[in-house]
Amino acid sequence: MKSCLVVDDSRVIRMVARKILEELNFDVDEAEDGQVALERCKVKLPDGVLLDWNMPVMNGIEFLVALQGIPGGADVPVVFCTTENDIDHIREAIGSGASEYIMKPFDSEIIQSKFVQVGLL
Amino acid sequence: MDDLLNEFLTETSENMDILDVELVKLEQNPNDPALLGNIFRLVHTIKGTCGFLGLPRLESVAHAGENILGKIRDGEIEVTPVAVSLVLECLDQIKLLLQELEATEEEPEGEDSDLIARLNAFADGNVIEQPEEQSDMAENTTAPAVETDFEPVEEEPDEFGFVPVRAEDTGKNIDPAAIAVEVASNVDEDDIPDSDEEASAVPAVVAKSEEVAREPSDSQKTGSVANQTIRVNVDLLENLMTMISELVLTRNQLMQILRNEKESEFSAPLQRLSHVTTELQEGVMKTRMQPIGNAWSKLPRIVRDLSIELDKKIDLQMIGAETELDRQVLELIKDPLTHMVRNSADHGIEVPKDRLANGKPETGTITLKAYHEGGHICIEIRDDGKGLNTARIREKVLDAGLVSESDMESLSTQQIQQFVFNAGLSTAAAVTSVSGRGVGMDVVKTNIEKIGGTVELQSTEGVGTTFSIKIPLTLAIVSALIIESAGERFAIPQISVVELVMASANSEHKIEKIQGTPVLRLRNRLLPLVSLQNSLKIDSAEEADEVADSDETFVVVGQVGTYSFGIIVDRVYDTEEIVVKPVAPVLRQISVFSGNTILGDGSVILILDPNGIAAHTGDLSLVDATNQDTAASGEDGDDSRVAMLIFRAGDKTPKAVPLALVARLEEIDRSKVEWSGDRALVQYRKQLMPLIPVVEGSVMEREGMQSVIVFSDRERSMGLIVDEIVDIVEDRLNVELNTVNEGFLGSAIIHGEATDIIDTGHFLTLAFDDWFGNANNEGFETGKGRKRSVLLVDDSAFFRNLITPMLSVEGFEVTSVDSVESAMHLCEKGRRFDIIVSDIEMPGINGFEFAQQVRAGSAWSEVPMVAVSAHTAPKDLDRGREVGFNDYVAKFDRTALINTLHHTLSLH
Repeated sequence: MKSCLVVDDSRVIRMVARKILEELNFDVDEAEDGQVALERCKVKLPDGVLLDWNMPVMNGIEFLVALQGIPGGADVPVVFCTTENDIDHIREAIGSGASEYIMKPFDSEIIQSKFVQVGLL
Repeated sequence: MDDLLNEFLTETSENMDILDVELVKLEQNPNDPALLGNIFRLVHTIKGTCGFLGLPRLESVAHAGENILGKIRDGEIEVTPVAVSLVLECLDQIKLLLQELEATEEEPEGEDSDLIARLNAFADGNVIEQPEEQSDMAENTTAPAVETDFEPVEEEPDEFGFVPVRAEDTGKNIDPAAIAVEVASNVDEDDIPDSDEEASAVPAVVAKSEEVAREPSDSQKTGSVANQTIRVNVDLLENLMTMISELVLTRNQLMQILRNEKESEFSAPLQRLSHVTTELQEGVMKTRMQPIGNAWSKLPRIVRDLSIELDKKIDLQMIGAETELDRQVLELIKDPLTHMVRNSADHGIEVPKDRLANGKPETGTITLKAYHEGGHICIEIRDDGKGLNTARIREKVLDAGLVSESDMESLSTQQIQQFVFNAGLSTAAAVTSVSGRGVGMDVVKTNIEKIGGTVELQSTEGVGTTFSIKIPLTLAIVSALIIESAGERFAIPQISVVELVMASANSEHKIEKIQGTPVLRLRNRLLPLVSLQNSLKIDSAEEADEVADSDETFVVVGQVGTYSFGIIVDRVYDTEEIVVKPVAPVLRQISVFSGNTILGDGSVILILDPNGIAAHTGDLSLVDATNQDTAASGEDGDDSRVAMLIFRAGDKTPKAVPLALVARLEEIDRSKVEWSGDRALVQYRKQLMPLIPVVEGSVMEREGMQSVIVFSDRERSMGLIVDEIVDIVEDRLNVELNTVNEGFLGSAIIHGEATDIIDTGHFLTLAFDDWFGNANNEGFETGKGRKRSVLLVDDSAFFRNLITPMLSVEGFEVTSVDSVESAMHLCEKGRRFDIIVSDIEMPGINGFEFAQQVRAGSAWSEVPMVAVSAHTAPKDLDRGREVGFNDYVAKFDRTALINTLHHTLSLH
């Protein structure tokens, strides 16, 4: 079973993501901001990360940059979420090491297709 | 309800609460990018999650708000009160929609194009409608707060059935969405930034969680951060609490059984069980603890809206927001607190113009302060506003017919102020939309008292008002003292027990229990006593006698507010942790019981309410603390009564001495009396105390017990030998002077019997030749060795005779006159005194008029004056000072009189 870390400050969104991912047979772990996610990754790298952008303490981009610094971190596929139809953010995320981006609100179908694209499914 | 929807409602209302606070902060610090970022993110999150749940109406409102915030963040729009109000209006709309959503589980029909259009217009820099919008907005934003004056104003996280709970104590909480409920208490003191912490304690809590998270400590276990808190349903916690309560009871029961077994193999495991139960109980109690800041979080917003509506400048300071208390208590005080803060803002703080005119800073301050004290939490709500208008309250009280005009005269300012807690009184001249509708402080007081709390009020006109609330930390389990009276056991909450005194005939503490007015003299104070058996009217005739005759009686000294009293009980058992169960509705009217509980042995007993019992100590007013020391003399509105100790000695005529002069009553073993010639002496408190017979030459028997009235002055004591102590009575004293018998001032009719009043001074001189001599009066004379001269004005010969020797002892030269006329005559004759002591109630010219005459340019206009009166109501003191008395002393309080004289003289 592959593991996926869901990083989002909203419990509601984590709940939704967990539901979708568990249906896709992922072992789901959650973190409510980049800092917590990073601590998790230092202990054990997940197989994939679903990452929000706008979070307190440490935002998505900062987390991405830090993740690259962890041994093996650069190889973890990260799917970046955003509600903003903002090409700059997406570009910045991809530049910082994100594998794919996804628009909120996401559903099972779009997650499935994106995860296939990054090789998680 | 759908889990996801439930979670959404919880999370979003948490975020809304933070937003309210953060926006008000933003208005004060418009250039704080961190604040802006946080606000933007929260609104953004709300909008984002709406998308997942298919809530287009909410999403569109949130989106419009986010739009403005985005522009503000990017510096395109300035932070102005108008902008903030508009965003707040947007948030209010979101709250409204959330409420509907919660009630119906469906997003309400309708649309918000008007609001959205205005939001968008503003975002686009279109601010033409500003002024109109503002007034419009002020009405709208406060609308929900106003209409539900005493209902919870908005949705609480708790109402969704959730409360954040600490998973481990070490937690460094990171999820600010969890509004850092537990963070405040977890963060080490060192981590708390000091800077304007006080000014905005609640928001600071949120900031704290972020700060801590940025600096993860080394000791922190990696990866465990997110699991520091879990959320559990409140019902689950309540259930746990109930189960623990039952467990505590069962534990107590087991311990009781164990106590009766001398040696038991269960002893060790039961001790362990007891220990664990206690810890478990504490642990569960802790999960119910929440910082009081949770109840305060809405206040900045409320005050902010009010200040705009009322056109005032108000600074809200919150100190001690991290102080924790039981969530049940928290829920119960939330509304009263909100109401009181609203009152302070509305009635208390003046408009800037008036403040400036009164030399105050333009901005008014409302300070909320919470702290722990013993097992209580104290909350203060203080404003520096105009204070209570006593004259208006007085008017209102009279209008409402609560008090007659004559009774009103005798009330002090403070007592009049307490009427704001009465139903139906509002002093707001105009009824605003906010308060002043006559519902309020009475409800506040009732609600606080319902949970065993007290609320006090202090107000100075022009300076401000302070409300002090004291409430128990928790309601569920209390420590209580188990006592027995007439074979029944009762529990008294430990919190109101000050001490236990064992009174017996031979001990130092003796109940001077005479004809239904029992008192206990304890460390020079007279405590009014109430017999539990009598006040509960428990019948057990044979036991009653037994108790009265038994040598030992237990007195539980209790305290309610500033009022101390004693409860006579038969036995005292142990203190026990008891689980408070509410009293049955049928018993609820009985004020002496506050609940019931099950004891360790399984028996059900009643919990006594000290407040109710205090009321049984007679007609003593609980409010007036100034009369504590003269408690025995009562306060039934007729203050010219004097408490007299009645005794018999020699002949059959009852004899009396003012109780205030008596130090104590003793029974002395005659075999211990030593004789030095004719003089009887007894060892008393490591000194030899002379015993003087009332009737000269009477011979004392050599065996058995002897009743003695002890008079004390500094270290010396004298015992007056009497046959029998009869009673303590209160009566109007009208002494007919008769100087035939030495040692007697005269006789008076007391309780219908002719009674001889003894001259204490005479017996004191018999005991010690130098009692009234020059001993111990060093330092009380003037530098030249001249004695200070005192003029004593009193129409009562009895009082003059009482006071004169007493003042002589102190080294004063006393001149006494019986009327103001005689006094003024001395003045005209050119007599000069260092100080004047005057009675108030005198026929002809009274003391007040006397003082006015003296102060109105007489030769004595500079001479200090001290009033002596049986009337010591605060109103009298005020009046006394007004007419020119330097001080005011209660009659028969000789220590106070002497101290006052020395003090007054030292000032002149």
